[in-house]
Amino acid sequence: MKTTERKPDIPVVAGIQDPMVNGIANGWQVQEATELNDGSVLEADVVIIGTGAGGGTSAEILSAAGLKVLMLEEGPLKSSNDFNMDEREAYRDLYQESAGRMSKDGAMSILQGRCVGGTTVINWTSSFRTPKQTLDFWAREFNVQGLSQEEMAPWFERMEQRLNISDWQVPANENNAVLSRGCTKLGYDWKVIPRNVAGCWNLGYCGTGCPTNAKQSMLVTTIPSALEQQSQLIYSARAERLIIEGNKVLGVDVTALDARYQPSGKRLIVKAPHVIMACGGINGPALLKRSNAPDPNNRVGKRTFLHPVAFNFARFDHTVDPYYGAPQSIYSDHFQWQSVAGAVGYKLEVPPLQPGLASVLLLGHGSDHFNDIAQLPNTHSMIALLRDGFHAQSQGGNVELASDGSPILDYQINDYLWDGFKRAFLTMAEIEFAAGAKAVRASHLDSRWASSWQQAQNDIQQLEFRSNAFTAGSAHVMGGLAMGEDLSQCVVDSNGKYHYLDNLYVFDGSVFPTSIGANPQLSIYGLVARQATLLAQKLKPA
Amino acid sequence: MLTTSRRGFMQLSGGAAAALTLGSSLALMSGCSREPADGLKFLSTDDADFLATLAPVIMAGSYPGQLGPEQARTRQVAALDRLIGTLQEHAQSQLKQLLLVMSSAPLRAAMGAPFANWREASPEQVEAFLLSWRDSSLQLKRMGYASLCKLQTMCWYAMPENYIATGYPGPPQKIPA
Repeated sequence: MKTTERKPDIPVVAGIQDPMVNGIANGWQVQEATELNDGSVLEADVVIIGTGAGGGTSAEILSAAGLKVLMLEEGPLKSSNDFNMDEREAYRDLYQESAGRMSKDGAMSILQGRCVGGTTVINWTSSFRTPKQTLDFWAREFNVQGLSQEEMAPWFERMEQRLNISDWQVPANENNAVLSRGCTKLGYDWKVIPRNVAGCWNLGYCGTGCPTNAKQSMLVTTIPSALEQQSQLIYSARAERLIIEGNKVLGVDVTALDARYQPSGKRLIVKAPHVIMACGGINGPALLKRSNAPDPNNRVGKRTFLHPVAFNFARFDHTVDPYYGAPQSIYSDHFQWQSVAGAVGYKLEVPPLQPGLASVLLLGHGSDHFNDIAQLPNTHSMIALLRDGFHAQSQGGNVELASDGSPILDYQINDYLWDGFKRAFLTMAEIEFAAGAKAVRASHLDSRWASSWQQAQNDIQQLEFRSNAFTAGSAHVMGGLAMGEDLSQCVVDSNGKYHYLDNLYVFDGSVFPTSIGANPQLSIYGLVARQATLLAQKLKPA
Repeated sequence: MLTTSRRGFMQLSGGAAAALTLGSSLALMSGCSREPADGLKFLSTDDADFLATLAPVIMAGSYPGQLGPEQARTRQVAALDRLIGTLQEHAQSQLKQLLLVMSSAPLRAAMGAPFANWREASPEQVEAFLLSWRDSSLQLKRMGYASLCKLQTMCWYAMPENYIATGYPGPPQKIPA
């Protein structure tokens, strides 16, 4: 069977205006760091480091309150005119380390954004409120205050409206339909995923930058709104260190980057009376470590969580086209909350399979690997996102610094998590066979294609843990700067202020004291909407 | 002698790990040419030879595909060079160590790779090397195997010329406004 001459019914993308290009033409203050003079000193009321979910949301709220906001972004500015649905360009321009970021021992692959708009530009749009179980756990275990489900509900509602978040109305693509069909057959719960899109074309290229501006990322929502309010955006600008004196941050020492994302030789200083870190897990803790920020209990970088992801593949005797259509539209939490703090729970979803990413996830080399990738159009993949951080055996990873100050994440997959991987492999295989799969394989070097559920069960039971021998991925870097009033564990208070500095705030996913148990973007939006609004009220009393 | 064999195995693993790190220091001191090859930013000529020799074995039937051997080599090496150049220090320095060991005949032979120049290595030798690293009890070798395969397949299958090998019909056409 030769499928390559197929001409699938996919639309031509044409007639899309680029709001960023138009805004800059109309006078938005947007500059590449290296265009500025070496040694320039910039000033603002508030400087925000990072322009992802946390930075974008903060910028919109604080600028609307009348504060002069300056946004710093390490990555480049790319917008819809640049988004060609080409994996090579997207990974190079929009992802940390060209999508090649890994944990210290190489066992975890980490997808994280690095561009104006951050991970919101490249995520797959799944938008869930922080689960009640998670909020309750934070209150109980970390003394987080004021973030109960009832107290958070209005903030989630506000951001759901702002970003047009609602259940996906279009029928799921076949890759997602495998999950709902299999779960239905087995009596497992599943639901439709809420997505932050407006006028989505259902193309399937959320991960390479939305070419139609349908995805309501920070790039097309809060950042333009902040720029309309006279905010300033400096991109290709790496926050090297915070300049700290006593209990105060005086400013940010910035390295300008060139077109190849290497230091251009120029440095800038940004001074502001209030500094917000929104540079995410891994990079945020690394910035504080480079800055020698006060950390009396040695907690900076600890409790970094990843939602470690297990992958399964299934082959069908019909076309799946796993690269087309909304990448995530169905999920199952059937195995997520069976025990909040017991054996690790997991959320089931599916990933889109463009060929570069698919080739990495399939693992291995040679003719077996080629046979697998050659059947991509008939291939489905399912993922299980393990809810790390809710058990004594799941303390997360730790951020260290390399000799040049760049971050290294040490994250170990231990027996507790491996048990979750094995149970997840079994669950996914069972669902895939129930949905009509002809063969199923776990993304583990020792796993063969199994042609029946019984054979898969036997094979998976025998899989052994060997680091670097199975795919463990993460697209959700959380924690590292835990929030709460328990100083033995936490460095940020319940309103996002750094415990040991008077004017430093952390408004992003790095404050989560555990993983979320769901794709985290709406958790960041809702929490940051609250924190930034409280800060705006403090700085600009009405 | 089950009890002692495990101990011996652990010692061997530790020794091999030391060889990989010590080896790279020796390679550094011995003054091997580490200049990037013409047109590349990171990879030396030796590195390019090593990676290009692995490519046909890793990608099997899809390599060199419609690009032909010369184009395939040039394009793949350039893509790998670009990707490795964007990695941060920790990952990049580990890859540099790996590449240094692979460019020194005695060191790579000690690590289970062919003694001969990579340009002369047979596909069978390359396959044996990959399998020995894949199935090694030594974490460093497994990491090396996984990294080499991931980098190679990511670069190769993301090239539009190679979509045909996977059956991927390609992304939608885009006409800029």
